[in-house]
Amino acid sequence: MSNSRVPVNLDTIANNLSDAVFLVECNKTVAWINQKAEELFNTSSAKAKGSLLTELTGITKLDSLLNDVFEQEEELKCSYEEASVKVKRQDQRYFFKIAINPVFHEGELWGGLVQFTDVTRFHEMEKIKTDFVSIVSHEFRTPLTTIIVGVEMLKEGMLGDLTPRGKEVLEAIGADCERLSRLIDNLMELSRIESGTIYVEAEPTDVTDLVQEAVRPLKFQSEKQGIELITDLPPNLPPVAADFNKAVWVLTNLVGNAMRYTDPGGTITVRIRQHGKRLFFSVQDTGTGIPKEQQEKIFRKYVQVSGDGRKGGGGVGLGLAIAKDIVMAHGGEIWVDSEVGKGTTFTFTFPVYQENKSVALPEGDQEVDQEGG
Amino acid sequence: MAKKVLVAEDERNVILGVRTCLDAVGYDIEIVEDGDEALNSVRKEHPDLILLDLLMPKVDGFEVLKQLKGDEQTSHIPIIVLTAKAEEESRQRAIDLGADSYMTKPFKPQELWDLLKHYLPDAL
Repeated sequence: MSNSRVPVNLDTIANNLSDAVFLVECNKTVAWINQKAEELFNTSSAKAKGSLLTELTGITKLDSLLNDVFEQEEELKCSYEEASVKVKRQDQRYFFKIAINPVFHEGELWGGLVQFTDVTRFHEMEKIKTDFVSIVSHEFRTPLTTIIVGVEMLKEGMLGDLTPRGKEVLEAIGADCERLSRLIDNLMELSRIESGTIYVEAEPTDVTDLVQEAVRPLKFQSEKQGIELITDLPPNLPPVAADFNKAVWVLTNLVGNAMRYTDPGGTITVRIRQHGKRLFFSVQDTGTGIPKEQQEKIFRKYVQVSGDGRKGGGGVGLGLAIAKDIVMAHGGEIWVDSEVGKGTTFTFTFPVYQENKSVALPEGDQEVDQEGG
Repeated sequence: MAKKVLVAEDERNVILGVRTCLDAVGYDIEIVEDGDEALNSVRKEHPDLILLDLLMPKVDGFEVLKQLKGDEQTSHIPIIVLTAKAEEESRQRAIDLGADSYMTKPFKPQELWDLLKHYLPDAL
């Protein structure tokens, strides 16, 4: 740098970065840290040198993140950015996004550059958003209670006789109240997923349990609608790495959707097949189908399929967006195959559970106490 | 004799809804509008079941739950929480404090009747 026209050296630059930066060798020991990292972990570059990064920071997760970068089989160019940690220091809680980039020396992998970017403000904003949605949801639920209870009692004639037209109007009000209720539920769910207050905890999950739990609440409704609900699961399926409740939510949502677009006499089939290290879950219906031009956008938020409205009046355009978020947080995929008039198949994948293999999740939740400083 | 149900709820319109619901199936209803009144009423009136809102003035529903379920004089009385708080944490907290059931608003009359029938099977 000395012969450059810029009158500062590399140290000055490194020490003025807003990120905490660590240079780590392949054996995961620290070779150098910048000033921000010294402040953050209450140490000095000299003291830090030679110690394991996990010991210096107290963040055990870094070990597997470094492995992910160092042990890649393909070309080493990837950085790992999908983790955040909370560091509690002087009674303050900070959130960091971690990025690790491989460092090469004379063509050989030498180590990694680990960067902690402060995303605390971002987390605060997310928290405000979640709280706001929660308050709004609460404020909607209470008046809806009065409306729904009143409408139901009137509809059933428990508060006096109704004209046929009066009954029809009340039916419509009741149906729209249900839409509102579902919208509130979905908004809350989406907000919680986006803000990371719900962590996807991938655990070994039995798929038979999962399917049973997802289908059970819909059995009665499908019988009432005259729709046959079939589950097709081969024996001896391995467990998947999934957050049970979230996975159930996805499946229930897809089957519920299918029911809204399938006529009496139709069939809905929940099927699981294994392909390598993934299980493919599909929900196939004999319903109205989704036009080609709409298929690609249905996973976006607030998009719903415009059908003939016969029974579609339930969607609020969030269910599939949430389902996609959940599936992707598990490292899976979701897609749709459909033909108008023939039916629709939604398919999503979950990874087969493997011991000692952590799933890359969008948010980490490791908390480290850094006292003093 | 009709079973006595205590309704602890501070929203006037919801009270009307719940009252209409319960009147239709012939329960004897007592209504209180804050947690403090709820505690007093339970100790005086010995209801057969309590429908409890969580967000109420003076003493909130969690505290009411804690006190009633922590007192052997009242711990046997079934408490159904009726609340707009749909967050899983609230549900878990209420169940941990001893709530027998947790129903989020909005609900349909049939859902409420089913629950009441479950806890007061020989009521009607």
